Amino acid sequence: MRTIFAGAALTALAVLSTLTTAACSANTAGTAAPAVSGGAAPGKDSPAVGFVFVGPKDDYGYNQAAYQGSQEVAKVFPQLKVITAENVPEDDNAARVMNSMIAKGARIIFATSYGHLDAALKVAAEHPDVVVVQQGNLITGTTPPNAGTFFGTVYEPVYLAGIAAGKATKTGKLGYVYAFPISQTIDNIDAFELGARSVNPTVKTYAVSTSSWCDPAKQAEAAANLLKQGVDVITQHQDCTATVIKATEAAGAMTVGYHADASGIAPKGWLTGSQWNWGPLYSDIVRTALAGTFTGSKYNANFRVGYKTGDNPFVQSPYGPGVDEETKKLVDAAKEKLRNSSPFAGPVRDQDGKVRVPEGTTPDYETIEKIDYFVEGVVGSLPKS
Amino acid sequence: MTATLTQPVATEHTGIPLRTALRTAARWTGALAGAVALFAVLLLAKGVDPVAALTGMIAQAFTGPSLEQIVIKATPLILGAMAVVLPARAGLTNVGGEGQILIGAVAGAGVGLAVPGPAALPLMLLAGAAGGALWAGVAAAMRLVVGVNEAVTTLLLNYVALDIMLYLIYEPWKDPHGSGQPATRPLEIAQRMPLVSGTAIHMGIVVALLVAVAVWLVLRGTSFGFHLSVVGGNPEAARRAGLPVARLILAAMLLGGAFAGLAGAVHLAGVEFKLRPGLTTNIGYIAFLAAWLARHRPLPAVGAALLLAAVTVAGDSLQLDSGLPAATVNVLMGLVLLAVLGWSRHARR
Repeated sequence: MRTIFAGAALTALAVLSTLTTAACSANTAGTAAPAVSGGAAPGKDSPAVGFVFVGPKDDYGYNQAAYQGSQEVAKVFPQLKVITAENVPEDDNAARVMNSMIAKGARIIFATSYGHLDAALKVAAEHPDVVVVQQGNLITGTTPPNAGTFFGTVYEPVYLAGIAAGKATKTGKLGYVYAFPISQTIDNIDAFELGARSVNPTVKTYAVSTSSWCDPAKQAEAAANLLKQGVDVITQHQDCTATVIKATEAAGAMTVGYHADASGIAPKGWLTGSQWNWGPLYSDIVRTALAGTFTGSKYNANFRVGYKTGDNPFVQSPYGPGVDEETKKLVDAAKEKLRNSSPFAGPVRDQDGKVRVPEGTTPDYETIEKIDYFVEGVVGSLPKS
Repeated sequence: MTATLTQPVATEHTGIPLRTALRTAARWTGALAGAVALFAVLLLAKGVDPVAALTGMIAQAFTGPSLEQIVIKATPLILGAMAVVLPARAGLTNVGGEGQILIGAVAGAGVGLAVPGPAALPLMLLAGAAGGALWAGVAAAMRLVVGVNEAVTTLLLNYVALDIMLYLIYEPWKDPHGSGQPATRPLEIAQRMPLVSGTAIHMGIVVALLVAVAVWLVLRGTSFGFHLSVVGGNPEAARRAGLPVARLILAAMLLGGAFAGLAGAVHLAGVEFKLRPGLTTNIGYIAFLAAWLARHRPLPAVGAALLLAAVTVAGDSLQLDSGLPAATVNVLMGLVLLAVLGWSRHARR
């Protein structure tokens, strides 16, 4: 036995001694401010552009939409080499892949998943001459001169879809399958319930988490649980959407889509949904970077676009057969109203009945992206932190 | 401990003649070439020029930043492989590296949250090792007390470990200033593993190599190492010879778990800096393959870990240059493993 302890002690001692004696420097990855570059503007005249996706590029969802956007960039800028990488995890591996793209000439990088932000900022700090934009997250604190985030106001089309769901439900119970309780998702769930409530005051939305952007086994389980509770319309905030939609359709329930038009796999139950049209926004970001005017532009920030400010890259999907004319008129009216309002226009109460947005106020994008509570009518609880 | 067996004068690793070494090298080369040839056929079937794809991979692997990335990726793999190698000597199958790594990272992160400044780092590593040992100890105890096979329990404990981490990052340890994504707050710079000067490589590689050499020395030159192999060879004979079999099994599992836990803490302090879902991206399982690839010998396992890390990094090129799906690199890795394992089975005496 003595030898074990001797061995263990030896190892521990060796470990500790290397840490104290070896020549080393501080590990400041991702925190160093980019050097003030006297050289070219970030991204200017880049010969290539890189796109990093967290999932497969044919997932009937988020990643497929982003991939299609990248292919549109390739069409708009035929001189550019468009480099794509799928299944890039949301950890340091993402930084490695982005660095590989930079080594292949890309000086404009799109990191398209929420959890890619840390890696994106690390890469931006290491390469002041490269524009790194991240899709969907928010940079807190100072925005580096070569970085930014962008997104649509996803909760606005979700609010409109909520109206269709609220009109369609017979049981008064809607289901929401989601991944993580991030603000973007909470906004969606809340907006869905608010939209449904605006036409059906007693409707409830049952929210279920899968803790993953794409885990078909957990998705199937979540959908089954919701259906068992009497839910008859299911929507979701997942990257890959086919599993939940197929389960819903098989059970004879109705679907509200997300990320992509999946009416093809839900011919009977499809109501409507929200889907991406990234091409124009991606192309404009690339254009800005190529011109050398990224720094200080609207994209060198947390850029958000919605019905109020212009063309939302997140648009409503086509209607399915079960949606009547009355519902369509209600949705159109609400869409018109969103031009100078918001789904979160007061009064908005949380699950405990506490007023969170007082009557007569309309929160701005920034405030809405920090919402951390479920509204009245949502069933399910958020983890406390 | 009243061991009646003495240490052997020579072990299998001493005095390999040059000719045998050359033959071994030739076999490895042959196996790898076979795997690459099969892979080339697959590439052709996908309509991709195999020569361009493979030269792209090699070019990818041998640029400066990629070499650094290979070392960074190999670091937790080496430690994770040691977590398989040492218990294997006693005939134990530790499939729980993934969970032990997670618990090690959780323990390290816990210390990081509690202790500010540079004093945290050594404590984090110790806590990581202790956490991993504890996690493996659960499986060892179940084997010794109720006789449940450790291959099953270590595997199942991986899922429990993941749930523990998820619970912590969703609720008590969630970064209140984060963007809502379940994650702990990042380690302070002073708490992180320092970098090897002038590179992006963190000091974890030194830790990993020291542990690998220590495992090699212990297995090769100590009576403890010899007793482990007696237990692994024939536990009944070991018991009759008066060896404390239960204690040896417990020790092997605890040490293995400690190495995996250390891998988790090192990876956290060196690269990731915060707990988040998907923190380990299968490091434990890939390390398990590395250990098998090396037939559970510590120094070859270092090479196998480096090889698998290199294949992963070089595999980026398959997507970026050749436009192949992301899973292609896994096919290559599978072919390499099959080829090498098939070869070494053949070579067994």
